[in-house]
Amino acid sequence: MLMKPEDVLRLIAAQRGSAICVPTMTTAPAWRSIAPDDLSVTCVGFMGGASALGLGLALARPDHRVLVLDGDGSLLMQLGSLATVAGAAPRNLVHFLFKNGVYHTSGSQGIPGGLTVDFAMMAKGAGYALACVIHDLEEFRRRLPGLLATEGPVFVELHTGLAEQTPMTAPGSAPFHQQVQDLRVKLLKPRART
Amino acid sequence: MPESIPAPLIIDTLKDTFREARAALAAEVAEPPRHSHLGWILSVPDTHQKTVLAALDKEEAIRVVTCATEDEATALAGGLYIGGEPCVLMIQHAGLYASVNTLRGVAMDGRIPLFYMIGLLSRERDKDPRESRHSMVRYSEPLLDTFGVPHARLEGPDDVHLIPEYYRLSRARRGPAVVLVGLETS
Repeated sequence: MLMKPEDVLRLIAAQRGSAICVPTMTTAPAWRSIAPDDLSVTCVGFMGGASALGLGLALARPDHRVLVLDGDGSLLMQLGSLATVAGAAPRNLVHFLFKNGVYHTSGSQGIPGGLTVDFAMMAKGAGYALACVIHDLEEFRRRLPGLLATEGPVFVELHTGLAEQTPMTAPGSAPFHQQVQDLRVKLLKPRART
Repeated sequence: MPESIPAPLIIDTLKDTFREARAALAAEVAEPPRHSHLGWILSVPDTHQKTVLAALDKEEAIRVVTCATEDEATALAGGLYIGGEPCVLMIQHAGLYASVNTLRGVAMDGRIPLFYMIGLLSRERDKDPRESRHSMVRYSEPLLDTFGVPHARLEGPDDVHLIPEYYRLSRARRGPAVVLVGLETS
């Protein structure tokens, strides 16, 4: 049985600690309700950019772990980012890929190659320190602490069903620029003006 | 007539720009990131700026991340900005065309200051870029105008002051700003 994205996200939320999270597309509405006050910024408005946005955060803030909550259709839009991430070799980056084989947000059209695309193999080939595939929630629960502690970049291909909500059915997230500003303030702590 | 700009001059100017950016951030925030380097260059290799990229290989004060696409470089720059790190994107005009949606999403909708150095490969020395016979050269400035992105031309060594000026401009307007590298660097 395929994992529910919401169940996966709840497990991540429970164990993320001070990690900065970068959800995108169908992970975004659920993450907003599961972890409303965490250090996160949604990749919205430039589909495919979550991994590179997360890479920038990981390089800037080696004192935080960065968790990218990516989608398979999204990653295909900037597939070269696997090599870019691997080349930059951020030790603090964990790249979770929620694989469902479709562009859920736009109406569940199949992605090129469908479920046969082996993203973990591509990440491994690109040079990620670790790449694995997880099909089962119990296995994910068991392995997650180790994955979050492993020196990265780590890639985790998660075989999931469809999320309950998409950005189309559950609009209402804060505008991207506001999310950017909020996270920057949390990370950098601007001095009060006198 | 435009002149080629020596790579060491550009690199020294970038170092000064990064030092100024770090000092400005340190004055503004309580917890700026602490790194041993001055800043980041995000590059999708550009023939026009290849001497700068080659010289940067030997620089420890500036870290270079080579990206597979300009889309990635732009999103990566957004992450660095959120985390408090200064960076410059060094790309080619073809990469600007390729990454316009990400520029719009990150730098304009996200109100993230991004400073680009964009090489005008194939720009003719004796022609205004807008009159170039090469469409990639000819449409660069009109494209930036369409999106309201301020830009200036680096036409010789006397113009390197535009690098910190346009970097500061990107910060002041919280959006993109561009200098176009008119001739191949030396």
